[in-house]
Amino acid sequence: MREVDERYFERLESRLDEAFDVAERAKERGADPKPEVEIPTARDMADRVENILGIDGVAERVRELEGEMSREEAALELAEDFAEGRVGDYESKAGKVEGAVRTAVALLTEGVVAAPIEGIDKVEILENDDGTEFVNVYYAGPIRSAGGTAQALSVLVADYTRALVGIEQFNARDEEIERYAEEIALYDKETGLQYTPKDKETKFIAKHMPIMLDGEATGDEEVSGFRDLERVDTNSARGGMCLVMAEGIALKAPKIQRYTRNLDEIDWPWLQDLIDGTYYEDAADEGDGEDDADEDEAADAESEGEGEAPADGDDTDEPQGPPRVEKSQKFLRDLIAGRPVFSHPCAEGGFRLRYGRARNHGFATAGVHPAAMHLVDDFLATGTQIKTERPGKAAGVVPVDSIEGPTVKLANGDVRRIDDPEDALEIRNGVEKILDLGEYLVNYGEFVENNHPLAPASYTYEWWIQDLEAAGADTQALEDDPRIDLEFPDPEEALEWAVEYDAPLHPEYTYLWHDISVDAFCDLAAAVADGRIERDGDGSVNGNGDDSVLVLEYSDPVREALERIVIEHRQRPDENRLEVDDWRPFVHTVGCEPRQAVADGAALDPDPDHDGDGDDPQEPTIELERTWTDDDLSERARTWGHESEGDNAIEAVNEVAPFQVRERAPTRIGNRMGRPEKSESRDLSPAVHTLFPIGEAGGAQRNVADAAKHAETMSDTPGVVELQVGRQRCPDCATETFKNRCPDCDARTEPDYRCPDCDESLEPDDAGRVECDRCEREGTCVEVREIDVNDEFRSALESVGERENAFEILKGVKGLSSTNKIPEPIEKGILRAKHDVSAFKDGTVRYDMTDLPVTSVRASELDIDVGQLQALGYEEDIHGEPLTHEDQLVELKVQDIVLSDGAAEHMLQTADFIDDLLEQYYGLEPFYEFEDRQDLVGELVFGMAPHTSAATVGRVIGFTSAAVGYAHPYFHAAKRRNCDGDEDCVMLLLDGLLNFSKSFLPDQRGGKMDAPLVMSSRIDPSEIDDEAHNMDVVSQYPREFFLATREQADPEEVDVEIAEENLGTDLEYTGFEHTHDTTDIAMGPDLSAYKTLGSMMDKMDAQLELSRKLEAVDETDVAERVIEYHFLPDLIGNLRAFSRQETRCLDCGEKFRRMPLTGDCRECGGRVNLTVHKGSVNKYMQTAIQVADEYDCRDYTKQRLEVLERSLESIFENDKNKQSGIEDFM
Amino acid sequence: MPLEAPARIVSELTSRGYNAEREAVTKLASAENPQAALERVVDELPEDALVVRTDHVDAALSGADSRAADSTADSSAGPTGSTGPDANAAPGPPTNPSVSTGDAASDPADPDGSAPVETKGGGATDRSVDPELRSLEIAGDMTGQSTGTGEYEDFVAVFRDRLERLGSKLRGRVNHRPASAIQDMPGGSDVAMVGLVNDIRSTASGHWLIELEDATGTFPWLVMKDREYVDLVDELLCDEVLAMEGTLADDSGIAFVDSMYFPDIPRTHEPSTADRHVQAALISDVHVGSDEFMEGAWNRFADWLHTEQAQHVEYLLIGGDMVEGVGVYPDQDEELEIVDIYEQYEAFSEHLKKVPGDIEIVMIPGNHDAVRLAEPQPGFDEELREIMSAHDPQIVSNPSTVTLEGVSVLMYHGVSLDEVIAELPEEKASYDDPHKAMYQLLKKRHVAPQFGGHTRLAPEERDYLVMEEVPDIFHTGHVHKLGFGKYHNVLAINSGCWQAQTDFQKSVNIDPDAGYAPIVDLDTLDVTVQKFS
Repeated sequence: MREVDERYFERLESRLDEAFDVAERAKERGADPKPEVEIPTARDMADRVENILGIDGVAERVRELEGEMSREEAALELAEDFAEGRVGDYESKAGKVEGAVRTAVALLTEGVVAAPIEGIDKVEILENDDGTEFVNVYYAGPIRSAGGTAQALSVLVADYTRALVGIEQFNARDEEIERYAEEIALYDKETGLQYTPKDKETKFIAKHMPIMLDGEATGDEEVSGFRDLERVDTNSARGGMCLVMAEGIALKAPKIQRYTRNLDEIDWPWLQDLIDGTYYEDAADEGDGEDDADEDEAADAESEGEGEAPADGDDTDEPQGPPRVEKSQKFLRDLIAGRPVFSHPCAEGGFRLRYGRARNHGFATAGVHPAAMHLVDDFLATGTQIKTERPGKAAGVVPVDSIEGPTVKLANGDVRRIDDPEDALEIRNGVEKILDLGEYLVNYGEFVENNHPLAPASYTYEWWIQDLEAAGADTQALEDDPRIDLEFPDPEEALEWAVEYDAPLHPEYTYLWHDISVDAFCDLAAAVADGRIERDGDGSVNGNGDDSVLVLEYSDPVREALERIVIEHRQRPDENRLEVDDWRPFVHTVGCEPRQAVADGAALDPDPDHDGDGDDPQEPTIELERTWTDDDLSERARTWGHESEGDNAIEAVNEVAPFQVRERAPTRIGNRMGRPEKSESRDLSPAVHTLFPIGEAGGAQRNVADAAKHAETMSDTPGVVELQVGRQRCPDCATETFKNRCPDCDARTEPDYRCPDCDESLEPDDAGRVECDRCEREGTCVEVREIDVNDEFRSALESVGERENAFEILKGVKGLSSTNKIPEPIEKGILRAKHDVSAFKDGTVRYDMTDLPVTSVRASELDIDVGQLQALGYEEDIHGEPLTHEDQLVELKVQDIVLSDGAAEHMLQTADFIDDLLEQYYGLEPFYEFEDRQDLVGELVFGMAPHTSAATVGRVIGFTSAAVGYAHPYFHAAKRRNCDGDEDCVMLLLDGLLNFSKSFLPDQRGGKMDAPLVMSSRIDPSEIDDEAHNMDVVSQYPREFFLATREQADPEEVDVEIAEENLGTDLEYTGFEHTHDTTDIAMGPDLSAYKTLGSMMDKMDAQLELSRKLEAVDETDVAERVIEYHFLPDLIGNLRAFSRQETRCLDCGEKFRRMPLTGDCRECGGRVNLTVHKGSVNKYMQTAIQVADEYDCRDYTKQRLEVLERSLESIFENDKNKQSGIEDFM
Repeated sequence: MPLEAPARIVSELTSRGYNAEREAVTKLASAENPQAALERVVDELPEDALVVRTDHVDAALSGADSRAADSTADSSAGPTGSTGPDANAAPGPPTNPSVSTGDAASDPADPDGSAPVETKGGGATDRSVDPELRSLEIAGDMTGQSTGTGEYEDFVAVFRDRLERLGSKLRGRVNHRPASAIQDMPGGSDVAMVGLVNDIRSTASGHWLIELEDATGTFPWLVMKDREYVDLVDELLCDEVLAMEGTLADDSGIAFVDSMYFPDIPRTHEPSTADRHVQAALISDVHVGSDEFMEGAWNRFADWLHTEQAQHVEYLLIGGDMVEGVGVYPDQDEELEIVDIYEQYEAFSEHLKKVPGDIEIVMIPGNHDAVRLAEPQPGFDEELREIMSAHDPQIVSNPSTVTLEGVSVLMYHGVSLDEVIAELPEEKASYDDPHKAMYQLLKKRHVAPQFGGHTRLAPEERDYLVMEEVPDIFHTGHVHKLGFGKYHNVLAINSGCWQAQTDFQKSVNIDPDAGYAPIVDLDTLDVTVQKFS
C-alpha cells in the first residue's frame, strides 16, 4: 500500500475512533438496550466474517489461511477445524456442521450479506429409514443473496463436515425425491428461477444428495402431489431449498466438482453424470432412455441449426456483409405505462454505441448526452435506470457531454445537432422529430462483465486519430498546433487530411451512409450534381472558408436521405430548397467534384435585380460534377446490405469517394426507461419518530401525545395503555420494569426470562437461547403490562428539557416486533421529532440515494473549494500538477462520497439531532456543531445496502444537485451494489453508533437484513464484489480494440487494462483513468419527468407523445405494449377479482370470503362492503380504448378491449335502466 | 365430380345466398350430375325463395332426368350409430360410449352415381319433417334481463335467493331452526338447520368442522371422523345449500352431525319423453378460429346430418364456445387461424350453414365467447346475432333450460366442472368421467355453487344458476371430454369438442375427445355417439 493511501485510511480511522469514544461514553450513561456501541468495527473481511457470525476465532484462522489458498479451499479447511473442535465451541455434531456451513457462506460472500445468518435457519440430525443418522440443512429465502456458488459450496461443506464428524449419508425416500421435482417446478412457476432443472435432473440430484436439503415455506401455493410427508414440514414450496438445488447444485456442478476431487473423505461421482447430462435413470441399461436423449439432442441441434440458418446463409452468400449485432426484444418486455421507450431494438435514429469510459461511468452505467436527456422531455435524468438491449440488462444513466449530442428537425425546417444542454432547452418546444439520439457511451469493462461479444464500434475521434497516425501523420505535431482543433476540424482541414495521408475521413464529416440504400445514395448523388453553390449572403463563414452553401432542389427522397444520414441542413419546401452548410466533405463523399467556372447564368438570366445584394455577376461560381454513373458501381457495392441486398450504401460510398469512409454508427442500442432515480429519506410507513409502543391509543397517526390523553372509558386513567413489552429486572434492588435502567436505583436492568408453562425463572445459555429444561419450552420475557404513556411522555420531555410545542407531532409505533420487545427511550423520539427526522426499524436515521460511480472530481462541481479538498488530503490533480484551482480534476479516494443536495440537508438535520441528543439526553458536549453544509465535508457516514448486514464507512467530499449518491465504484462494490439503478442509504456516523441496537430488530425472517451488524472501516479492493474489477482504467482504447469490435471479438481477447490487474499491488487504490471527461457530473434535468409529472395518465400521455417524436420508436408498438402489459392485465385482473372478491367490514376490518347472508358484519354488526369496486375495475377502460384508437393498434387488441368493455357494461349496467348519456336529453 | 358431398352442395348454395332443406340437398347430391342439377335448380328457383326445398329440386330434376328413379340404394356404407349401454341404473357406472365412425367418403353420391333408397320412385317424402310436430320452449334465459349493477347489495341478494329457493327443497325434510336461535337452545337438544356452507376445515384431531350460514348468522357443525357421513364431507363445496341434523353440545356452542341432506334429485324422478321418435344432437366447444379447429370432422358431421341415418335429428344444441375468441389467454393470437373475433363468428356461421336448414338450433355462450365471463352469461349481443342469423338459431343465456317436445334440457357451459374436479376426490369427479362431476352439481341442484374460486359470479336479482326444476337432460361441455350417464334418471351429458389437442392441453396431459356428436333419442333418452374424427 502506498504511503498516501495508508495516511488516508489512518485519517478515516482516527475520526472514526474519535466518534467511537464519544459514542461509548454516551452509551454508558444512557438507557439504551446495551451500554456499549453495538456496531463492531471490522478492518478486513476476516473481521467481518467473525462479527457477522459471532463465532470467536474464525477471523484469526481466516487470516492464517488467506495467503495460502483460495477462499473456497479455506472454507473446506475451516470445516475441518469445526469438525475437530479447533474453531467454535460446539458440543453437538449438528452444531459443528452448522458452524462450518455458516462460515463457508460468510467467507464466500465476504462477510457482507445476510445470507449466512438469515439464509441458513438451522442444521439438525435426523434418522434414515435404516436407523442411521443424517444431516438436514434448513435453508431460508435470504440464502438468495449468497449467489449460486456459495449456495452450492454450502452443501459441499455440510457434506464434508458430516463425513468428518461421522454421520451417515442421507437416503431420500421415493416420495421425497418426487416432491423435490414437483416443488422446484412449482417454485419456478410462482417465483421464477434463473435456471430450472428438468424433473429428471432434479430427481437425479435428490436421489444422490448425501445430505437432506430442507427449508422454510416461502409461498402460499402448495404442491398437489406428495403432500404431508413425514420429514417435510410444509406443503408449500421451500424457496431457500429450491434456490440451493437449482441455482446452486444444478447450475454450479462443475465448480463444486473441482473441490470434491481434492477431498478424500467424500465422493460425489454423480456430479460427472450431472454435468454430462447422462442422468437418465440407468442410461446404460435402458436403450429407450438413451434413444430419447439422443433424439432430444438431435432435435435440439436441428432446431438450433434452423434458427441460425438465415444468419449463416447471409454469411456464406455474402461473406462481406457489414458486421451487425442481433436484435434483442427482451428489454421491451413488461413495458409500463409512463416509462417511455427511447429506441426500439437496433433502430435507426436510436442511441449510437460509442466506446469509452467517462469519469462518472463504468460500472453498469450508460453515458448519455445531457442535451438528449432534455430532448426526451426530461424523462432521463442523472441516475435514471434504463433497461437496455446490450451489453447488460439495465444501466444507470450518467450525463456525458464529450460525446455527440442528438440531431433534431425543428418546426422551421432546420435540422440541427444539439451539443449544448442550454440549446436543447431553448429549441425543445420547436422539435418536430428527433432524427437521432446521439451517442451512448459504454465502456469496455461492461462487455467483459456481461461476457458479451464486442459490438461494432462507431467511427469516432479516438479511433480516427489512431487511424491517422497509422497512416503516417505526425499527430503529435497536429495536436500541438494551436490553430488546429483535431477533434472538431474545419471541413477543409478534414478533407485535406483524408486526401493527404490517405486516412479515413474525419468522423465529424462522416455521415451515416450505411443507413440509406444504394438506390437512395445514387439518387442523392444525382441531386447533388444538379445542386448549386450559393452565397447565402448572411456574411457568416460556414466552415468552407467562405459563406457558401450547397442548395439542392427540394424533394421528399432527397430530404429523407439527408435526414437518414444525419447531416445538418435546412429544409425550405416553400422555396423548393434544401441547404447544406458544410458541403465540401459531403460533396466529395458522394463522388462529386466542385469546379470553378465563370458564371454564365447572368446572360441566361435577364433579371436585372442583381445590384441589391452586392453579388458580383462576374465572380466565378462553383459547379458540381458527378464523377461516376450508377453503372460504375461494382456488384458487391450494389448488393451490400445487412437485412436486404443493397440496403447499405457504405461500399458504394467507398467506391466513389476519393478517400476511405468508415461506418459511422454500425451499432444502435435500444432502450427504455426503468426505475426513476431516487434521493429521499427512508421512512417506515407510517413514519416513526420513536420505537416506543402505544398500541391503538395513538389513533391512526400513532400520535404519542394523543395516546397520553387516551382513555377507553370514562373510568380509565387517561394515558394508561396495555402493551406488550419485555420484562426487565434490576439485579441490585430486584425492581421490575420495562426500562433498561432501574427507575429506583438507576442500575442497568436485565431481561427477566420465564418459562411460559411453569413460570420458572430462566437464564440464557451461551448461544443466547433461553429454554426451560423441564417443560422443553422456550422462555420469554415478553408480557402484557399497563404502561402510563402520559407519565413516560411528560417525564421524557422534562428530562431533555423540551416543551411539547418543540415539534408538530411525535409518532410512536403500534407494537414492537423484536424478540424481547425492548422499547426505545421516548427522549430520542422527542429530539428526532424536533429536528424532523424519522427512525428506521433499527433506530437509525437513513437517507436513500441511487448509486452512481465517479473516479475523478472537480471542486467546482462539488460546491467546495480547493482548500477543502486539500484539507481532505488531496494534493495534486490527475496529471500530477499541484492543486490550485477549482476546475482541476482530482482522482477520488475510494471511501469518499458525494451527497445529493437532499441528502446533505437531511444529514444537517440529523447532525443537529445528534448534537441535541448528546447534550440534552446523554449530558455530553455536542459533536458536530454544523452551521452550514460546508461543515459536512470531511465527516464520516455509513453506507449500507439492502439485503446486506455490513455497513461501510464513507467520508463526505462534496455535494451535487443530481438526485443520486456518487461515490467510488469500489465503495459501491464494497456494499455489494452495482450502479444499474440500485439504491442504498447513508447514515450519519454518530447516529449509527448511538442509536442502532440489535434489540430493536424484528425477530422474523429477514429482520437482520439491512441492519449494520458490522462495519468496514477500510475497503480492501480484493474483498469487494468482483464486478468492479472488470472496469477498465485506461485513457485511450487502442486501435486494435476498435478493429476487433468489427470482428465482434470476445472481449477477453482484446488488451485493455482493467482494474483487476492492479489488485494486490501498490496501485490498487489509484490509476483509474478515463477516456472521456464530462463538464459536470450533474447535467441534464435534476429529476426525471417521471417524478415531476403528476398522475399516471399524465405520464402515459407524455410517454406516447415522446414516442411519436422519436425516429427510433414505433409509437404503435409502444401503445400496443402499454395496453398489452399494463392496461389489459389490470382490467382483466380487476374484473376477475371483482367477480370472486372478498368483502370487508368498514368498521372493524373483518374480512369475509363471501358476502354474509345477514348483509352486516358477523363480528361487530357493522357495514360490510366490497373490496373491489366498479371504479377500480374500469378506471383504465376508456383510456385504453382511446389509446388503441389514436395509435392505430391492431384489431386484435382493439377487439379485446371491445369485448372487455361489453363485459363491464353487462356487469355494471342494468339492461332495463341503461345509463343514458347527455345526448339523450339534447 | 366437383360436387359430391352434401356439405359442398350446401356451401355452394349458401354462397349463392340460399339455405337448403336437408332432403333437397340429398336429392341434389344423388343426381347424376349434381353440379348441373344444382345449376338448374338455382336457375329455376322462384325469385323470392330463400330456402331450396325438395319440391324445387323435384321440379328442376323431373323435367330433365328421370333415371334417378332407377338408381339402386346404397345405404350400407353410411355411418351407423349404436346405442350406448343402458344407463338406467343410476348413478350408473361410467358408460364407455360405444362409437361408430362416420365415413364421409362413402356418402350417397358414390362414383356409380347410385341414389339413396328414399329417392326411389321419384321424390318419396317419408323423410320430410313436419314442423307442426315440433315444440321448443326456453326457460331461465336472462339475456337482456341483467339488472345487477355490481353493488354489494346485489351480491347479498343473490346468495339470499339461493338459500331461499334451494332451502325450500330441504325445509320440509328437517325440523330446522335459524342459526341465531340454535345458540339459545339448551345443550343436548336435537337440532337441525338449513344453510349455505360457509367454511369447511379439519380439526386437530381429524374431525371436520362445517360452518353453516343462514340469514341470521352462522353455526358450526362437527362431523366426527368415525361417522358414516364423513365421506360426504369430501363432496362438499363452499356456498352450496345443505341441511344438517344433530345434537347440540353441552355448551350449545357447536352441534354434532347425525345426518346431512342435499337438495338433490328425487329418486322417484320420472323423466318426460317425446311422443314420437325424434332425436337431438348435443355438442359444444366448436372453437372456430383456433389453429386446432377440426374442420374436416365438422364437415363430416354436417354431411352426416344430411343422410338418412340422421333423418330423425331435428334439434341441435350447442353448449358454448362457438369460437376460440380473442385474449382468452396470453399470446393467444399466435394460435389463432382467424385473429379477428367478428370473422371468427362469420366463419362459425358459415360452418353452421352446412347443417340442414330445417334443424332447430339452440345455443348458449361459453368462456371463449365474446360475452362477459361472469355467470350467468347473457346470450350474444345484436351484432353477433346478426352475424349468425342465417340459420336463425335460438341464442340464449348460459345457463338456460330448453324444452324439446316435453323433454327439458338444462344447458350450461360447464366452467364450474373444473372446480368440482379439482376439489373433489378423483373417484367422485375426474376429467375422464366428466358426467360424474355433473352428478355432483345435480345433487347440489346448482350449476356453480362455490364462490371465490374458478367460477366468476355476476350478481343479478336472482340466482339464475339454481336448478329449481329437475331437468330431464343436463348438458355441459367446457372440459373437452365426452361422458354421459344417468343420475336419478336424469341424463347427464358432457359433449366433447371440435378442437384437437392444444399445446396447453398437451402440457397438462389432457387428451380431448374431439369430433364426437352424442345423439339423444328424445322418446327414450337413449344416447348414441357418432364419431367424425
